[in-house]
Amino acid sequence: MSDEQERLTTLTQILRDLLGDDSIVLTAATVRDDIPGWDSFSYINFIVAVEAEYGVRFRIADVESFPDVGAIVAAIGTAARR
Amino acid sequence: MLFNSYPFLFGFLPIVLAGFYALGARNREWALLWLTAASLLFYAWWRPVNVLLIAPSILINYGLARAMERTGQDKPGHTKIILIAGIIFNLCFLGYFKYLNFLGGALNDAFGTGFVLTQLVLPLGISFITFQKIAFLVDIQAGRVSRFTLRDYGLFVLFFPQLIAGPIVHYREMMPQFRAASCRFDATDAAVGLTLFSIGLAKKLILADPLSRLVAPLYGHAAAGVPQSLTEAWIAALGFTLQIYFDFSGYTDMALGLARFFGIKLPMNFNSPLKATSIIDFWLRWHISLTRFLTAYIYNPMTLALSRRRMALGKPVFGGRNTNLSAFLVMLAMPTLLTMLISGVWHGAGYTFILWGLLHGVLLCVNHAWRLIRPRFWPDTKRYNRRMAPIGFLLTFLSVVFAMVLFRAPTVSAAVMVWKGMIGSYGAALPQAVFARLGVVAEGLTALGIHPAWTSGTLLVEATLRIGVLLLIALLMPNTLEMLAPYEPALGVKPAKDPAWLRRRLSWAPSGAWAVGVACIALAGILSLGELSEFLYWQF
Repeated sequence: MSDEQERLTTLTQILRDLLGDDSIVLTAATVRDDIPGWDSFSYINFIVAVEAEYGVRFRIADVESFPDVGAIVAAIGTAARR
Repeated sequence: MLFNSYPFLFGFLPIVLAGFYALGARNREWALLWLTAASLLFYAWWRPVNVLLIAPSILINYGLARAMERTGQDKPGHTKIILIAGIIFNLCFLGYFKYLNFLGGALNDAFGTGFVLTQLVLPLGISFITFQKIAFLVDIQAGRVSRFTLRDYGLFVLFFPQLIAGPIVHYREMMPQFRAASCRFDATDAAVGLTLFSIGLAKKLILADPLSRLVAPLYGHAAAGVPQSLTEAWIAALGFTLQIYFDFSGYTDMALGLARFFGIKLPMNFNSPLKATSIIDFWLRWHISLTRFLTAYIYNPMTLALSRRRMALGKPVFGGRNTNLSAFLVMLAMPTLLTMLISGVWHGAGYTFILWGLLHGVLLCVNHAWRLIRPRFWPDTKRYNRRMAPIGFLLTFLSVVFAMVLFRAPTVSAAVMVWKGMIGSYGAALPQAVFARLGVVAEGLTALGIHPAWTSGTLLVEATLRIGVLLLIALLMPNTLEMLAPYEPALGVKPAKDPAWLRRRLSWAPSGAWAVGVACIALAGILSLGELSEFLYWQF
């Protein structure tokens, strides 16, 4: 499994736990509007959980402007290398 | 100058539009400069002296932004210091006009101090303008603004359709539009703008304002300590909720419509909030641009900072269904309560607004907690949403109506009077006229605690009819964004994939039938122009 696929699986599990919904499946193209209940309030908790999982820190400016899940996956890569 | 006034509708607006299109045909830059100057005049109309306040504040902010841009990449530490100085400057500016008196009064109450209170006149729209300026500085620091001139910045701050009461906009969503705007007359934009504006005008003048006359005496009684019967208290609470709903919804439609005349799309601000099925849902529909600002600039950074501290201490972070109580309290409840407290204080300097903010904060926390607990015994989310939506709607509606009393009542004790009335503490009542006709039955009713009230039968009937009809409109009708969805009435609005029957029937199109319909609505609105009534959100 590629790095990206592995991260998507982990992110999916994090969001399932966060929203209590096991039917969620994230892809790189998923945007927040696609997932019922994934509103601006629960978004930041998702980011926090991702930071905790990977031991990375995103820039707050980036957090506000991730266009889709793929961008978060990519940012985990860059943040881990930093 | 109010949107709903003769000088605006028949003087300012036509002249500004004619000048804008005429200049736009020759030189776009002149047209945008004209629009900026017109916006400054719009602001000055109300109290010319305010220009002396807003102009220096624009220049100072512009100077700070330029300084940040220069230090930029090389010295991020310096940029941050300038940012903090800018935020403090803007907050002090707001604080001086909006909170100094309240603070002095509160200190006098608490410690018996003798601060002399002078009544400063609040510069119009200052709360909205301040938030927008702060957001701009933060965006510069975050590298989200690439280039800007003084004219760009001035237009961004002053653009008159959204200057006084929002929607609160971001530079990065406005400036590309101004840069790309043709600055010429466009038939579709004009038609969409006129439709939005006419519907907004009618909402404000025909639907909201009569309610104001209905509920004002009720809150006056509450403030004077006169107990309210069950019916009166509910008329006060429901009546005001619908008044502010149609007032703000009407204002927002008018702002969107006015901006559209210039080819500009403003962000969504109001999306049928009374249809919400949870308090979280409500805040994603009511004053959307404020929620967006508060989450992006206060709630998110606070949550992020708090959780990083927890992580550093090796404590578990918030993770949904695996969360423990302390993570919930620190990472969700605390930032939520603080953010809503700030939201309350932002709305007004007064105990009622502080309490209103906190109450919504508590309601949001309960909502978040329920979201975590519910899947443990009802894991099927889709089914839960389907089954429980009506109950969620009812609870949300009642909570919103209860909290709205604080928004209107002049004091906390007046709000408590209305609340007590709503739960029947002062008994139920029927109008005197109805009572007099009941004969023996009246005695029985008196024994049950129902007594004759000051309200006339006509007033009761009028209130019931108005509230009933407006509730049906708010809850069953598609909203303007949905009706105009194919023409993107607000930034990012898209048509629904599978719209319901009523929404399909009421979908706007540039047709003869709609032209006649909108003309009738506009005419009804214009004929209702009379005594000037400010928008409720202009006071913030």
